[in-house]
Amino acid sequence: MPTRDNNSLNIGQIDWSSVLIYATLVVLGWVNIYSVAHDGGTTGGILDFGTRYGKQAVWIGICVFTAAAILLIDDKYYHIFAYPAYWAAIALLIAVIFLGTEIKGARAWIFIGGQGVQPAEFAKITTALALARYVGRHGFSPRRMRDVAMAFAIIILPILVIVLQRDAGSAIVYAALLVPLYREGVNGWIFVLIIAAVLLFIFEFLLTPFALLALVVAVCVAGEGLANGRWRTKLIYLAALTLGTIVIYFGAQLFFARNISLFASLLAVTLASIPAAVAYAYRHRLRNVYKYVGLFVFSLIFVSSIDYIFDNVLESHQQERILLLLGIEGDLAGVGYQTNQSKIAIGSGGWFGKGYLEGTQTRFNFVPEQSTDYIFCTVGEEWGFAGSFVVLGLFCLLIVRLMRMAERQTEAFNRIYIHGLAAMFLLHVIINIGMTVGLMPVIGITLPLFSYGGSSLLAFSILFFIAIKLGAAKRDR
Amino acid sequence: MLSRASILYILVAVAFMVLAVRLFYIQVVDPQYERSANNNVLRHEVLYPARGEVYDRNGEFLVQNREVYDLMVTPRDVKPFDTLMMCSIIGVTKEQLVTAMDRARRFSTRRASVAFEMLPKEAKLKIEERGFPGFHTVYRTIRSYPRNVGGNLLGYVGKVRPIDMERDEFYRATDYIGLSGVERAYERVLRGEKGVRISLVDVHGIVQGSYADGAFDTLPVPGTAITTTIDLRLQLLAEELLAGKVGSVVAIEPATGEILVMASSPTYDPNDMVGREIGRNFVRLRDNPRAPLLNRAVQSHYPPGSTFKMVNALIALEEGVLTPTRRYECHGSYTVGRSNVRCRPHYSPVDLNYAIQTSCNTYFCIVFRNILDNRRYANVKEGFATWAAHVGSFGFGRRLGSDFLDERAGNLPSVAGYDREYRGQWNSMTVLTLAIGQDKMEASPLQLANFTAILANRGFYHIPHIVRRIHDRDSIDARFYERHYPTIDPRHYEPVIEGMWRMVNESGGTAYSYRLPGLDMCGKTGTAENPRGKDHSTFVCFAPRHSPQIAVSVYIEHGGFGSALAMPIASLLVEQYLTGKVEREWMVDMVKNTPIPYPVYDNRRQ
Ligand SMILES: [Zn+2]
Repeated sequence: MPTRDNNSLNIGQIDWSSVLIYATLVVLGWVNIYSVAHDGGTTGGILDFGTRYGKQAVWIGICVFTAAAILLIDDKYYHIFAYPAYWAAIALLIAVIFLGTEIKGARAWIFIGGQGVQPAEFAKITTALALARYVGRHGFSPRRMRDVAMAFAIIILPILVIVLQRDAGSAIVYAALLVPLYREGVNGWIFVLIIAAVLLFIFEFLLTPFALLALVVAVCVAGEGLANGRWRTKLIYLAALTLGTIVIYFGAQLFFARNISLFASLLAVTLASIPAAVAYAYRHRLRNVYKYVGLFVFSLIFVSSIDYIFDNVLESHQQERILLLLGIEGDLAGVGYQTNQSKIAIGSGGWFGKGYLEGTQTRFNFVPEQSTDYIFCTVGEEWGFAGSFVVLGLFCLLIVRLMRMAERQTEAFNRIYIHGLAAMFLLHVIINIGMTVGLMPVIGITLPLFSYGGSSLLAFSILFFIAIKLGAAKRDR
Repeated sequence: MLSRASILYILVAVAFMVLAVRLFYIQVVDPQYERSANNNVLRHEVLYPARGEVYDRNGEFLVQNREVYDLMVTPRDVKPFDTLMMCSIIGVTKEQLVTAMDRARRFSTRRASVAFEMLPKEAKLKIEERGFPGFHTVYRTIRSYPRNVGGNLLGYVGKVRPIDMERDEFYRATDYIGLSGVERAYERVLRGEKGVRISLVDVHGIVQGSYADGAFDTLPVPGTAITTTIDLRLQLLAEELLAGKVGSVVAIEPATGEILVMASSPTYDPNDMVGREIGRNFVRLRDNPRAPLLNRAVQSHYPPGSTFKMVNALIALEEGVLTPTRRYECHGSYTVGRSNVRCRPHYSPVDLNYAIQTSCNTYFCIVFRNILDNRRYANVKEGFATWAAHVGSFGFGRRLGSDFLDERAGNLPSVAGYDREYRGQWNSMTVLTLAIGQDKMEASPLQLANFTAILANRGFYHIPHIVRRIHDRDSIDARFYERHYPTIDPRHYEPVIEGMWRMVNESGGTAYSYRLPGLDMCGKTGTAENPRGKDHSTFVCFAPRHSPQIAVSVYIEHGGFGSALAMPIASLLVEQYLTGKVEREWMVDMVKNTPIPYPVYDNRRQ
């Protein structure tokens, strides 16, 4: 570990632009929370602590002090306390399973002095730090199975505990920490498999078996083509598959008077073609062809097991929940109602919105949970596309600045941590705004820095200012 | 190969692009969300205008508006209250009150809905005085008929039907619309313009204030009043005389085509078709075998009988096959081959005046055959077509185009029709009874009145109409100002009218006793043969003979001889209209005390 002789904070090294963007987003968030609480009649002062905007103002004050403290603490302590803090957080998460208060089905909250705190928010910090410490240590090799497995374990452990709290939304966010692993050079195929699994899971329910199979074949062949070229071979291969499918499909009808589905026909032909693919790989000494064959086989096994689990293991209400999550079965009274009202609020904003405090959907409470998960509805309705675009742009700018800051870091610890933070911001923003505009399933996570709620605001502020501190320290040397 | 950092930058850019494009789409491109947002928060409350009033020609009210109050209830705000007192104020049973409350609760506990409709003002005042929390009243107006007259004429107002909403976007599901008579014909004038009050409601449907400070609210514009051509006192007299009988009376001012009277019997109390009992009353009226909801003046058509003889006389004069002085012999019947049309005993031979005066069937059979078998035409069909064209020019066999939308055309036989019926094998003998207004000839009482007006005018008519003035306009529909000329030269009318004058004033017998001394009434009785029962009694007349003021047609189903009932009714109406009073009380009593049995209608009940 490098040592430094000057640990005092150098104000000039702080990325003030990012801090300004951060502050702007926090203030805009508060302004919109005020609008949600405002009902057109008399409201108390800005610091009316009975209201949400009053409480949020207090939290903002706490964040300012916390930020100052973080900037003053020597950054070596983040290294030193990374592991103990990680374990402490895991212990706290487990304790919440037994001691926490249940809100909306998730046992994810503890109350301290009447104030609810969501430990899963703060565990993001410790997990990011622990991951940075482990992956950033000397001797970590992204090619060594044991090291990579440990890195994954650091991420998966809190996910498992949080899933046990039945707070799936918060758990998903931890997947953002895979991004720094990718950046550090962990084998890309692992991520291909993870993304493939997620996509297969979604498309499993959206596409017919035949379409899904055809899609998988097409993706594998295209991937191999991108890697190795030789496109004529690919075309011949695809033509042969098509021809074979047609021959089996109609041949069975004509000569055996039996109906074989298109899906079964294509599956049979594709499986039969695998030896040919292997022979091709062997002859041309193209070892990566095996990977695409493997990806295909993996997809088949994965989809079959989802099918099996969905049909035989899950109970009907769990099945419904999944279908609803994927937007396959509408439910205008429940979750579907929220999404619909959210789209209406945002969509009715037009170019420039209805004006501050003038949003009718906001004022008359048509969107549930509007100051927390659906805070973006207020932006969309009252500030229109122009306002939404500005907020979106600020988030994008902040994330890109953080990524560039990460790329500038020479110390792996800093780079990994800041990339992890940027990825968590990104995932939160994409899922939250995507949810409000109906692109994403309804997953209850916050819009960072914007949504009402002390835990989320404070956790993201701490995450952010640690990154700022780390970024400033680098130039300090 | 791209560096992994670059791939990450690209992913970020793509993700934000997708969000931005999606936002642009739902906020700027797709208008459905703005509509849905307005549906969410804007409640359009319709403010109903009062319908236009309807007056008679002398400015007396025929239709007024009455204020009523709907009792609204918001179940959530209701506190325990004295249900017995509430029931007695509204005039309902406790069960009805409970049912109404349950219905309101099912609709919504937070939003107000109608508990009881159309309460009188006294009830509203009492409810406000006692102060029942959770209840309030809403003002609106309904129709009221102070003189209880002209049910079918004025028509009624009812809830709009789906077809009305399809035809005219003005209407919404809860609106009312004129469904018959004047209310229907002048719906667009009478209905006014609805106002709207736009309120903001929250997610619970509770009003939170006005939208844009009422900038888009509009006040209702009351409907325009109408002065009809009806003479209220004449109408009242007509309905009084028709009571208990089935038939109708139409009187027209010949010079203008204004309808002075249009009475159809049996009629109904128009107040029955308003208010809370409308449903029950409607069913009762609809199921009455005498069909009181049928406006017989325009919707029924009958054989005109002998009143049609003047039509044939005019056509014969115009076609040159008859002169007023030409005499024909009558020996009690007209017989050719197996055909036989009987006549009454009278002097013979007869000329035109005398033929009309005595209603000689023989004379008109000969005249009619002369028209059809006129050697100017190649064959009987051509002659018949000429005859039918003349008849049609008087307004028979087609809708006159009056302002009654349910007017019927009656029936004017055609060559094609008889060709079908007789497979082309027919001649003037086959259709002989058209000479005396029988066979396939059918006319509505309105058409007969219009024909009488043509006689009074000596050769023209205005389309009969019911509206005299629409209060915010300078004129009524242009078609009513137009003169229509039948295909008969005006000089042919006088001999016919002379016959009608003699019929009333020189005949002797019962007809003579119904004449109007000094008023020069010209008329013609008709006794239309009716295969289903006793003959119909009909009479048409106008008076005075010179510069006529009124033309009347009376048609009494199963009334027997034209002189028996139809003539005294017409005579009394003319007296009332020309002198302003009825002095012949004995005639009124005679008409009212002549009962007519209607087995055709009343035995159908079983
Ligand atoms: Zn005779």
